[in-house]
Amino acid sequence: MEHVINTQNLSFEYHAEEQTRHLVLKDINLQFEKGQFIGIIGHNGSGKSTLAKHFNALLLPTEGKVYVKGMDTKDTNHLWDIRQAAGLVFQNPDNQIVAAIVEEDVAFGPENLGIPPDEIRERVEYALKAVGMWEYKDYPPHMLSGGQKQRVAIAGIIAMKPECIILDEPTAMLDPIGRREVISTIKKLNKEDGITVILITHFMEEVVDADRVIVMDDGKVVLDGTPKEVFKEVTLLKKIGLSVPQVTELAHQLKREGFDVPLDILTVEEMVEFLCR
Amino acid sequence: MPIKVENLSFVYNEGTPYATVALNNVTFEIQDEEFVGIIGHTGSGKSTLIQHLNGLLKPTSGKIYINGVDITDKKVSLKDVRKEVGLVFQYPEYQLFEETIFKDIAFGPTNLGLSEEEIEKRVYEAMDIVGISRELADKSPFEVSGGQKRRIAIAGILAMKPKILILDEPTAGLDPKGKEEILNKIKEIHDKYKMITILVSHSMEDIARFADKIIVMNKGRIEVIGTPREVFREAEKLEKIGLGVPQITSLARELQKKGVAIPEDILTIEEAKEYIVRYLRGTKNV
Repeated sequence: MEHVINTQNLSFEYHAEEQTRHLVLKDINLQFEKGQFIGIIGHNGSGKSTLAKHFNALLLPTEGKVYVKGMDTKDTNHLWDIRQAAGLVFQNPDNQIVAAIVEEDVAFGPENLGIPPDEIRERVEYALKAVGMWEYKDYPPHMLSGGQKQRVAIAGIIAMKPECIILDEPTAMLDPIGRREVISTIKKLNKEDGITVILITHFMEEVVDADRVIVMDDGKVVLDGTPKEVFKEVTLLKKIGLSVPQVTELAHQLKREGFDVPLDILTVEEMVEFLCR
Repeated sequence: MPIKVENLSFVYNEGTPYATVALNNVTFEIQDEEFVGIIGHTGSGKSTLIQHLNGLLKPTSGKIYINGVDITDKKVSLKDVRKEVGLVFQYPEYQLFEETIFKDIAFGPTNLGLSEEEIEKRVYEAMDIVGISRELADKSPFEVSGGQKRRIAIAGILAMKPKILILDEPTAGLDPKGKEEILNKIKEIHDKYKMITILVSHSMEDIARFADKIIVMNKGRIEVIGTPREVFREAEKLEKIGLGVPQITSLARELQKKGVAIPEDILTIEEAKEYIVRYLRGTKNV
């Protein structure tokens, strides 16, 4: 079966002034299955946002290839198909809203795809309902909270009927309530609407339920597996400046004290169950 | 330079149909050398509250005393207040504007009318404190990393030598490592200079470790105020307003419910470990 996103020996370098070359991505090979929820974590400068921008042809590989639904991102004939198939949501909710009214903002993408007005209306309604923002369709975006604005940004992508949504730290600027709204919206889109989700984040707890977690460091994939497989590597994660859930850290400390604790505990419930069984 | 806030209320757009009560009868005190965390979600009034503390906003009603002086009094010079109360905004790196890092940090002290030698001394001192190499002084503040930019912005406030330092979400948008660095720096500055430090945050984990006192804001009111332990005992209240407690505190509470001998006001992993080790050894011996 065709992968939603497939990178082959992807490398990327930025050219700063003078002759300095800065290798940001080093030989990345990743294949994402349709319908999966994938988390990508890494500290600032690890290359995760640069990687995300390759997933919808905002950046093109210096070496290697990126295929979105089998289409080579270097093939300019497919640019619009690629951008329609893989939508990108950014960190700052204030930087990605273009219109003065919520529903117009959501209609912006499908309008640019040249979709007939009736269908645009249907899609906008569907998209705003999917993110739970339909009742705000007539609001000016500046009257919304950060979490609501991010949901509108996500609706703008949904209205383009993508195969895949890539979210680059969508909750970094939100408070806990906004964060919860956005994460539960993303999870719903994945579970109920079958949209492939690639979530780039610093917050470990957001990827605890993911199907797959990828850890980036220094432009490379250093860990790739289920959340349990990845979060077991407490020492490595801490070494590269990432944190693990507090109970996972506790499990490791108890292990060091000589207790037979499973190292893949991620939640309070799991820890309580282990201790009180 | 203690702070005393009495019955402070603030209404945005008062007298218009858009009137919104942002602060509702808020009263608290902060003593010298205290490290205070203010927590609450967006719209809870925390940013409105701190903007009152250096006179950026005037209360609709109520009083604010700083070192015994009522700064809501019209006769008080706000310039003097701002000399003492340094406020670092959210995403302060967006406020950098000068050609060089030196000039940017010097902007505040220059406006205080200090001598050139004094300004230079303060700028370099502030750079040392936040850990920006003096060699970067002539570089543009726009050519350095995001974490460095933020530290430069904080240095600009420190160079004014405030007696009260207020930081509005200084770790927003940073990765765990950058967050640690900034928080540890703030703690270090507080321990060294003993100024009152007020840290506004969403994150209980961040605040729990450092604060002597936590003020939890909700809908313009103080919901809970006290030491971290006192505040986290109110876990249910905190969860109801969407804040929650650190994961480790919530583990302790769950274990206590199951009959494990562990206090419910655990703040750190180390503390929890101690009790759990005791519990595990105890059950094994039985």
